[in-house]
Amino acid sequence: MATPTGAKKELKGADRYKAGVLEYKVMGYWQPDYVPKDTDVIALFRITPQPGVEADEAAAAVAGESSTATWTVVWTDRLTAADLYRAKAYRVDKVPNSPDQYFAYIAYDMDLFEPDSIANLTASIIGNVFGFKAVKALRLEDMRIPVAYLKTFQGPPTGVMVERERLDKYGRPLLGATTKPKLGLSGRNYGRVVYEALKGGLDFTKDDENINSQPFMHWRDRFLYCMEAVNRASAATAEVKGHYLNVTAGTVEQMYERAEFAKELGSVIIMIDLVLGYTAIQSISKWARKNDMILHLHRAGNSTYSRQKNHGMNFRVICKWMRMAGVDHIHAGTVVGKLEGDPLMVKGFYDTLLQPHTPVAPELGLFFKQEWASLGKCMPVASGGIHLGQMHQLLHYLGEDVILQFGGGTIGHPDGIQAGAEANRVALESMVQARNEGVDYLAKGPEILAKAAKSCKPLQHGLDTWKNISFNYESTDTPDFTPQVTPAR
Amino acid sequence: MTANPEEKSEGVQAFPDSFDLEGEFARSNVQAVLEKLDRELVGLAPVKQRIREIAALLLVDKARRSMGLETGAPTLHMSFTGNPGTGKTTVALRMAEILKNLGYVRQGHLVSVTRDDLVGQYIGHTAPKTREVIKKAMGGVLFIDEAYYLYKPENERDYGQEAIEILLQVMENQRDDLVVILAGYANRMEVFFQSNPGFRSRIAHHIDFPDYSEKELMSIAKLMVDAQHYVLTPEAEKVLRDYIPRRMKMPHFANARSMRNALDRAKLRQANRLFGRKDRTNLTRHDLTTIEAEDLLASRVFQP
Amino acid sequence: MHENPRNMTQGQFSFLPPLTDDQIKAQIAYAIKMGFAVSVEYTDDPHPRNTYWEMWCQPMFDTKDPAAVMLEVNECRKVWGANHYIKVQAFDNARWRESVAMSFIVNRPKHEPGLGLARTEGPGRSIHYRVHSYATDKPRGERYK
Repeated sequence: MATPTGAKKELKGADRYKAGVLEYKVMGYWQPDYVPKDTDVIALFRITPQPGVEADEAAAAVAGESSTATWTVVWTDRLTAADLYRAKAYRVDKVPNSPDQYFAYIAYDMDLFEPDSIANLTASIIGNVFGFKAVKALRLEDMRIPVAYLKTFQGPPTGVMVERERLDKYGRPLLGATTKPKLGLSGRNYGRVVYEALKGGLDFTKDDENINSQPFMHWRDRFLYCMEAVNRASAATAEVKGHYLNVTAGTVEQMYERAEFAKELGSVIIMIDLVLGYTAIQSISKWARKNDMILHLHRAGNSTYSRQKNHGMNFRVICKWMRMAGVDHIHAGTVVGKLEGDPLMVKGFYDTLLQPHTPVAPELGLFFKQEWASLGKCMPVASGGIHLGQMHQLLHYLGEDVILQFGGGTIGHPDGIQAGAEANRVALESMVQARNEGVDYLAKGPEILAKAAKSCKPLQHGLDTWKNISFNYESTDTPDFTPQVTPAR
Repeated sequence: MTANPEEKSEGVQAFPDSFDLEGEFARSNVQAVLEKLDRELVGLAPVKQRIREIAALLLVDKARRSMGLETGAPTLHMSFTGNPGTGKTTVALRMAEILKNLGYVRQGHLVSVTRDDLVGQYIGHTAPKTREVIKKAMGGVLFIDEAYYLYKPENERDYGQEAIEILLQVMENQRDDLVVILAGYANRMEVFFQSNPGFRSRIAHHIDFPDYSEKELMSIAKLMVDAQHYVLTPEAEKVLRDYIPRRMKMPHFANARSMRNALDRAKLRQANRLFGRKDRTNLTRHDLTTIEAEDLLASRVFQP
Repeated sequence: MHENPRNMTQGQFSFLPPLTDDQIKAQIAYAIKMGFAVSVEYTDDPHPRNTYWEMWCQPMFDTKDPAAVMLEVNECRKVWGANHYIKVQAFDNARWRESVAMSFIVNRPKHEPGLGLARTEGPGRSIHYRVHSYATDKPRGERYK
């Protein structure tokens, strides 16, 4: 970009506001000495500058375009406390092993954002700036949300502990399954799958993200049959059972209508898709808090912008925003299943959703210390290509506060859906039992499962069917920092 | 996973041909505990001997078990008899440690109680109280001091009997979970056992704690003085030597405990003496650590 | 078709063969190791939303050894075992949990009639459901006889 003044340092006063075009860094968007305040929002971007653009100028440009700047100087800045409103790029680091990429740290004053509005926050942070020409590619890697700003958000309507208390289920991961096939079942046939899976031993069943109200099954029909199945299963097992009724619709008004009907039928949980948009998510979250409803979020669409390493945004930022916007469940990776997920990255997502505070941990992709300001915990959901033969790995990598969803692994069981559900539950219970008894369950997982299968035929058949299935592909979204051992001197 | 009865019965268990008693003893760290006891308690040779014997018995018992020789679950409940201040509680603490090291109790802690901790004031109060104490002691050693107070034959409706019955049941049925040590004066314990044969039959080891000799009491007192960073002047030491036989003849003599009390009072008088001094603006280290003859001579033991 | 062997599957281990006393002790040992307070509760109404079972004793906060909890489990079994459900619960008072951390059944009544489902038809094909324990058709003390 042209630099008519040739200035190197930040300009002040009249020089700064003379009509014309200035480099972003002399306009005050690059402040290497700036110390972020506790109340600042901080964003970390991965920047790939256009050839010929310096890294600090690119960072300043991102700071400018995501806050107050436009392409030319405007005198109306002088009517404001512009120094405050200007975002400040204060640090640029080279990305390890990626010669053309930089991590830029940018601080934003809290007053740039509307309280309790993810839409407003994101309109700045991931707004115009992502199409900006000065950068070839741009990715939002992480954010530090100040406690003061977090306190304006409701957070998860229920939270992990209250959810467990409502369900009366403790000390083990929860089990779920997505009804399959995804599309085409009539309401009556759909409810059959729900009944079999819940009665067989799962805690939850789930609508898929694209099950809304289609010609083959309208929403009321689905709700009615599913709740018949849920209640029958509950009576058969003396357990609280639930089916994530997807209330996603074309308008928010229709969503409320569906959510109200779910409540009327006594469902404990409803579901939405990430593609609703942040405002609709916050609206339904408030409705859920008001109506004692657990709120499940399917992350439909996220991979379009979160998977590639150089452009878009990291999924951990979605996790942060969704914990703020307020959902109780969010799909966050399986490590061992069919969908993208490096183990360390997934741990970073899980920590972001579940911990009261997360320290800086670059190997997990956590660049900032984050205090969660009493916002509830959001339960991660592991779904996609996982099966009972991996139970020891799932428990080891994902821990206790997680919902393990075995869709194909339940419905595709050779002895039927109930048998599939029971096999999953027996595998899970035997693994938790072994863990508590102090057994090295990660190493001895297959033995533990084989032993449990002796008194559970469905488990044996499940193990026989899936024992060799795994998905070993390279992850695309991997950590930039690997933990290093300091050599002894 | 933990013991599954089905698994145990699978196949014939092969027993080893030899047992490394020496190695097992070294691993158990029992020697270290015995040495600690030697440092903590002066004299008490017969008691220490009995502890060594019990440790040896338990080790051999373990060896026999490892070779599949029928032994039966050992009874480990004990009675410690002797006058106050003869080291019963300290020995009980070390005994808990030894039992833990040899694998006869899981946690190795000691819960020390008297009648008031076990017996309630009204109907229905005693059982939960006793059970609460037993629960706290589970996996360790329950030390009941002056155990004979549990039994009050003069009162027909005494709630102590309820506590006794619960204790006896646990001592019999949960020998793996809890070791009980009953303690008190020898003669009164004897009477107690006569009227409660259930206890006597469940107790495997009786240890008698003899009174300390004058010489031993002197060593104990000097150890205490040392440990608290005080020094006796030669005159004070002479007075203390004179003090001991006089105190032994008086009522409520409690061996080591009486020594501690005597020194506590001497410390009090020393403090008062220092406070009464005119030049108290510059006390020396020597002043602060020294116990003079007069600090001991003021004791009622020397009053006519 | 395959069917579940049990009609009351609350708790962490209801799908496994009934836990032996040694297995129960191993779970309690884990709870104690984690610093949880362990309690024993019983009921004759297995309704899934019957939150408040009767407390057999106070939660055991300072217990060092599983045998202490087993003592209460066995006492509770003696009194209520023939016709009640008994569960062991572990409570974690760590900030951000402050709730139940473990819960598993350690005793079942000899006969388990389970629960029934009553339906009330409403407008628009909607149905309201009532799940109820057959046991509660009789007054307390006379159930499961």
